Amino acid sequence: MKKLGRRMWLRGAGGFALAIPLLPSLLDQKEAKAGGNNRKRFVAMGTNHGAIWQPNMYPVDGSLTQTATYAGHQVRRGALALDVAGGVARLSPVLSASSSVLTSALAAKMNVLRGLDVTFYLAHHRGGHLGNYAENDGNGMDGQATQEHIPTIDQLMAWSPSFYTDLSTILERALVIGGNGMSANWSSPSTKTGEVQNISPENDSLALFNRIFVPEEDPTTVRPPIIDRVLEDYNRLKSSNRRLSAADRQRLDDHIDRLDELQRKINVQVSCGDIEPPTSSSIDEWGSSSYGIDPQAQVRFWQLHNDVIAAAFACDTCRIASMFATDIFSDYVGDWHQDVAHQAHFPDGEDQATISAAHQRFFEGVFLDLAAKLDAIQDVDGTVLDSTLIQWTQESGCATHDPIELPVVTAGSAGGFFTTGNYADYRNLSRPAAQPGPDSAVSSHTGLVYNQWLGNVLQAMGLDPSEYESGGYGGYGKVVLSTEGWYAGYQAYDNAELSVMSEILPFLGA
Amino acid sequence: MRDLSKRGRAGWRAATLSTSLLALVGCTGEIGGEDQETGPGPQSTPTNFVCDPDAVPEALPLRRLSHVQYANTIRDLVRYALPSESDAVITAVTPLFDQVPDDARIGPDKHYAGFARLDQAVQQEHIDATYAVANAVGAELVSTPARLEAVVGACATDGDASNDDACLDAFIRSFGERALRRAATDEDVAFYRVPAGSAPFEAADYADAAALLMTSPHALYLVEHGDESEGEHVPLGAYELASRLSYHFWQTLPDEELFAAARSGDLLTEAGYTAQVDRIFADPKTREAVAAFFSDWLENTTLEELDSRAGTPVFEAFAGDFTPGPELRERMLAEVVDAAAWYAFDGAGSYDDLLTSNRSFAKTSDLATIYGVPTWDGAGEPPAFADPARAGLITRAAYTATGSANTRPIMKGVFIRKALLCDDIAPPPPNAAANPPTLSETATTRQVVEELTANSPCNGCHQLQINALGFATENFDALGRVRTEQPIFDEETGASLGALPIDTTSVPRVDDDETLSTGSADLMRLVTESPKPNACFARQYFRFTFGREEDLNRDACALDDVKSKLDDGAPLAEVLRTVALSQAFKKRSFSEEVAP
Repeated sequence: MKKLGRRMWLRGAGGFALAIPLLPSLLDQKEAKAGGNNRKRFVAMGTNHGAIWQPNMYPVDGSLTQTATYAGHQVRRGALALDVAGGVARLSPVLSASSSVLTSALAAKMNVLRGLDVTFYLAHHRGGHLGNYAENDGNGMDGQATQEHIPTIDQLMAWSPSFYTDLSTILERALVIGGNGMSANWSSPSTKTGEVQNISPENDSLALFNRIFVPEEDPTTVRPPIIDRVLEDYNRLKSSNRRLSAADRQRLDDHIDRLDELQRKINVQVSCGDIEPPTSSSIDEWGSSSYGIDPQAQVRFWQLHNDVIAAAFACDTCRIASMFATDIFSDYVGDWHQDVAHQAHFPDGEDQATISAAHQRFFEGVFLDLAAKLDAIQDVDGTVLDSTLIQWTQESGCATHDPIELPVVTAGSAGGFFTTGNYADYRNLSRPAAQPGPDSAVSSHTGLVYNQWLGNVLQAMGLDPSEYESGGYGGYGKVVLSTEGWYAGYQAYDNAELSVMSEILPFLGA
Repeated sequence: MRDLSKRGRAGWRAATLSTSLLALVGCTGEIGGEDQETGPGPQSTPTNFVCDPDAVPEALPLRRLSHVQYANTIRDLVRYALPSESDAVITAVTPLFDQVPDDARIGPDKHYAGFARLDQAVQQEHIDATYAVANAVGAELVSTPARLEAVVGACATDGDASNDDACLDAFIRSFGERALRRAATDEDVAFYRVPAGSAPFEAADYADAAALLMTSPHALYLVEHGDESEGEHVPLGAYELASRLSYHFWQTLPDEELFAAARSGDLLTEAGYTAQVDRIFADPKTREAVAAFFSDWLENTTLEELDSRAGTPVFEAFAGDFTPGPELRERMLAEVVDAAAWYAFDGAGSYDDLLTSNRSFAKTSDLATIYGVPTWDGAGEPPAFADPARAGLITRAAYTATGSANTRPIMKGVFIRKALLCDDIAPPPPNAAANPPTLSETATTRQVVEELTANSPCNGCHQLQINALGFATENFDALGRVRTEQPIFDEETGASLGALPIDTTSVPRVDDDETLSTGSADLMRLVTESPKPNACFARQYFRFTFGREEDLNRDACALDDVKSKLDDGAPLAEVLRTVALSQAFKKRSFSEEVAP
């Protein structure tokens, strides 16, 4: 086996290891000489429900030492400071982990954002994490009225020349993993036409690996691929004099667009050293009969995917991944949705403890696992994590169904675009939303609009607002100011919040 | 593609159940708020489809083969090309089928009666995977000289280059007719032989030709140009008609007899067409497609794993000496499909017979135990339920069991209202799920639900549309067992606290009327007397048949064809076959007029 001098071992889950070359050795010499690295990466992690009480999710209010006036109200910031005791490092009960994993250095590369809202009653959804709010369950009048699907931000950047300035090593523009519905795009992505459709996820980490690592072939023994001829076959039908409807032609255009992408991928030449395929798959974990109530197996399932993502980023065969983790990360037996998530707001705290512990397992086992793996890979400037933005978002805020105070936890600075080490609180404390009472311990306030954060992510990845903003609002995603119930209607956002949505959020601009 | 949302474990549960309860509870407004309008009343399904023969449906884009149809097609092409070693080739390439995305179940309702055939998305993975499959199959078909000779003929292996051109052309014409599902023209032959270049040809040249044919638009889509008629709604050509028939009833390409009927034009004659419809429907392959229809339509998507609470005190106390296993959920769902298929193919039954059936189709002892009957061997006469209380579709375990110790009258009611009657229900208020019905130590589940939904804004939808339908089967417990009273338990220890009497009387308002129902049998009588279930059946079958949602005006003729048969009490087999005789089935639209 050929040995490379400049490489490292990426220790993966399930006992497998990947030998990956250090990125600088993969870079074009000219680029390396210049010391430039415009490669940015993005990972979106989404989990169901949310419903974490604020004291369990966020650092203590006392850590918010800095204030500023923004969008007509006071916003706050503090430095993320670890509290380490008994081998456990803690930013909050959910954001805690073994001190060997959650180090001060890693915490300094994180951000915790509070006070970002969707402006209408969204309830259960899958697409909202990345801006396609229409991918919801139709709960409430707002949910039913908001059914116009739009591409998600991972797909926007995947097909933007501002993000992928060079596709010569990219075998997959974006990986979509986990539950269905988090990622969506046009049926003809390059032309941004057709219907917006969900991207089917891949949950077999070995299959995913095989998509991003294609073994080099001996050019003397390989026949020319027939892809050119396949393309011609579709063009042949499209240009024939046989009767076709306009919809038929759109369908053929969509297919031809995809064939173009396949043709591009077939012609990608990747040299990434002697990568050895992993010997186990996430599906092996999932296939266990006890998987649904085995949080350790669920964590391993996702760690196997983390390994593939880390290796893909290291070898630069893909720079985007979305991960929709619908597992419960708990050994709870029963109806998690109804009996835990929907009762987590009760003041007795019993279900809140269960759901918070589950989220802590996700944070430590999945989010931090990937962050640590990326931070262990050397890049041209710093580590791969430094050029990456990992975001973890939850379906709802502190109460299930309620898109108020959606937590956003990040790691990486997107190549220095964002400052890190921040706990930022954007709530408007003069605008209460949920208020505690005999049946609920939830207390929340409206703040800034989540769309603004999504726009910030796109800007961090190199996209100009002109590429994605529409409808007269900044940021990304639909804005609806409805009168639907829950509190006093979702009319808590006026020009102060809505006029700043193209801007970088306070405290985050580098 | 491994889409875990299709499977019955935690990922699925989280994704699916997160939707189900909430979508069903309540109406508009805010719970706890002041009285207000309770939103729109019942949105009843239309029950009368007025056929306008001149109406033209909206043109559809080329229909993509579903995942199942595509995989079946490739397997059948292999069987055609290399019958002697087809199993080996299919085994070798089957893992690649996993890379083709599964189809999502899609329909107007997000939770019930979604059909895989309506998923017409074309994603990058479709293109990548079908390309990989085609290349792999092509290579496998000619991987040895013996295979090459079997697939192409002795001309491919005889070492005589002078006959190679004719050899390749003949292969393209023969394999091409099956892959393209139409006659391969001279232009096709010239096109698909290009990668091979000039003779002599090697095995890989034939592999490339086969792969090209299997990635053709005619292979992956139902390409329909119509015949030579003018107009925007034209009859299909013979080959196109053959494909419609085979993909609808068999989920795969036409067989040799159907190809022959298309080739000869016999399929375009009324007698020839009818004969083929009869032959196709009688073929065992049709049973699988019909099962897929009923499975998509009638699946209770809210049914949890029956063993999901095993080991918890209340569930153990409730279950008693019955221990549900991890397969019971699937067996309950399969029993519904078996029942439908039996009435369609074996029992010569009608849709009403299925709705009111008192026969068990439990093939395993666990479900048979719940029903108190012997297991069914899958072939003979299915046993009758012993208890007269179990009467009708909605009393089957798939619809009464829940996976917990508690029944779900609301969920049962919503299933009947939406999936069986095709009525709409207004969305729930924002905080509807904040206080879900739970097991009580002092009240029956019915009483809990009644109290929970007694006030505005919930009462509008729940009292008029939902609860009463679910109360009718409260004489079945959460494992689907008959009961006459509801045992109550200490919520912590599971200790018995006694039992409360069951009440199954209600006013279900099947037809927005005030007729009283005494229980499940009475409810099923009201359902079968209503025009709604037949109209609903027609709509669901339309979606399955045409791969799209119906337009109640422009598709009224096709809907009415099916509903009329149902109204006449025709056997299910005749109803299912009828759609192939409708004008809608035999024509395609090129109308650019978009439905509003």
